[in-house]
Amino acid sequence: MPRSSKQFSYRSTLLIAFLLLCATACFGQSTTGSVNISATVSKFVEINSGGSVSLTGNSGGGVTTDGVANSPLAVSINLGELGPSNTNSFVSALVPLKLRSNAPYVLSMSATVTSSGTTSNKIGAADVGFGLGTVTRSGTGVNTSGSDTNATSGDPTLAANGSVNVSTGRYDFTAVRSNLSAFTSATTALSGPFIMNAVPRSNSNGLTVPAYFAIKPQFFENGTTTVSVTFTVTAP
Amino acid sequence: MKLRILIYTLLIGGVLSAAEQTSSAQALDISAGGQPTITGAVNGSVTGNSSVTSDLVVTINFGEVSPLNQNSIVKVVVPIAIRSNQPYQVAVSMSGLSNANAQALQSSDIGFGAQNIRLLGGAGKICTQSAHIFSSPFNNDPSSSATVAANGRVTYTSSLANLTGATVILSGPQLSKNNSSIRQQSDGYVFDAIFALTPQFFATGISSATLIFTIAAGPNAPC
Repeated sequence: MPRSSKQFSYRSTLLIAFLLLCATACFGQSTTGSVNISATVSKFVEINSGGSVSLTGNSGGGVTTDGVANSPLAVSINLGELGPSNTNSFVSALVPLKLRSNAPYVLSMSATVTSSGTTSNKIGAADVGFGLGTVTRSGTGVNTSGSDTNATSGDPTLAANGSVNVSTGRYDFTAVRSNLSAFTSATTALSGPFIMNAVPRSNSNGLTVPAYFAIKPQFFENGTTTVSVTFTVTAP
Repeated sequence: MKLRILIYTLLIGGVLSAAEQTSSAQALDISAGGQPTITGAVNGSVTGNSSVTSDLVVTINFGEVSPLNQNSIVKVVVPIAIRSNQPYQVAVSMSGLSNANAQALQSSDIGFGAQNIRLLGGAGKICTQSAHIFSSPFNNDPSSSATVAANGRVTYTSSLANLTGATVILSGPQLSKNNSSIRQQSDGYVFDAIFALTPQFFATGISSATLIFTIAAGPNAPC
């Protein structure tokens, strides 16, 4: 084939390709279109107050800042007199907690106990009984399947959870994780499967569990004591 | 030389004629209808060409739809332009979004409706003998029709779960005055495809779906 004919053929091919592209662009109509959709669901957990605090066995004192259901947990309690002048067997505070999650959760707790006393007779972390009570999963939108693992021994005032030490005479909370000495650092108190089914956050139901705190009035060294407890829920 | 010019001229004419015939035969068209919008999203977005002469290619990212998103609802409005020189119907088909976990995002959790059909411009055809009709149950704004079911989960008057195969959502008479094979700025109608998703305690994960909107010849609808 002569060179000029080859060039002509080559140019013609290029021209046809260009014209086809141009035609598609200029006259382009389509009978279809696409909409691609995506969404992300991340792990979500929260802890709130489960309601009002119950304080029993106290002499003086009272609930300084009460819990309000479904509001951030920020409770302040004055346990009152903890010396022998308080003749009740225990001063007990019950703090309702409410947990919600869309994934398996872990509730951990850490506590500090600070007393003004200077001897071993001052109130210490081991003198503050602690435990989580019965876990309740109920209400519309709550996942009622699966079981929760309570790492504490429940109500510390139960006879099975403590007794007078025969050698020291001091009352000991003896059951597993039944006093705050077991929570000097963040320690798991409760864990379980996801709590909420697919419902909006405006649904106020959730998992509720009472947190018990108890002190046995004794001949503690006189002074004041501050107990600070922090609950943290995570979705590992 | 004259022979080459003649041949080039014939080539151009032939190719353009072929393209014209192809386009003329395609008297139905669907395209972008304007800039899509999104509200109530956390880390979400919607992308699409705002030009009504562009193809309909929209990407919706609802973003975070766990309770981390504290907005009551995430709403996306996608304007879609349609053109025809004959009665038409618009159908939608869906693929994807098949989560085995019932607590994960399901097609019924994404509200879907279509509303607000309006002239794209002066060359849109106004027919007096037939109306443009959104098929039931899609004629609603799902962000307004969301309700909480007995099990606590949010439901919608219509959702992506109502799409079974190619589901007709809109039909009506001729849309365009002219018979141009060229997609123009003002020769048809626009309607809004509306999507809504309420953040909930869904099981964790990333979900995706693809919707295909198709315009085709519709049932007889005199103009």
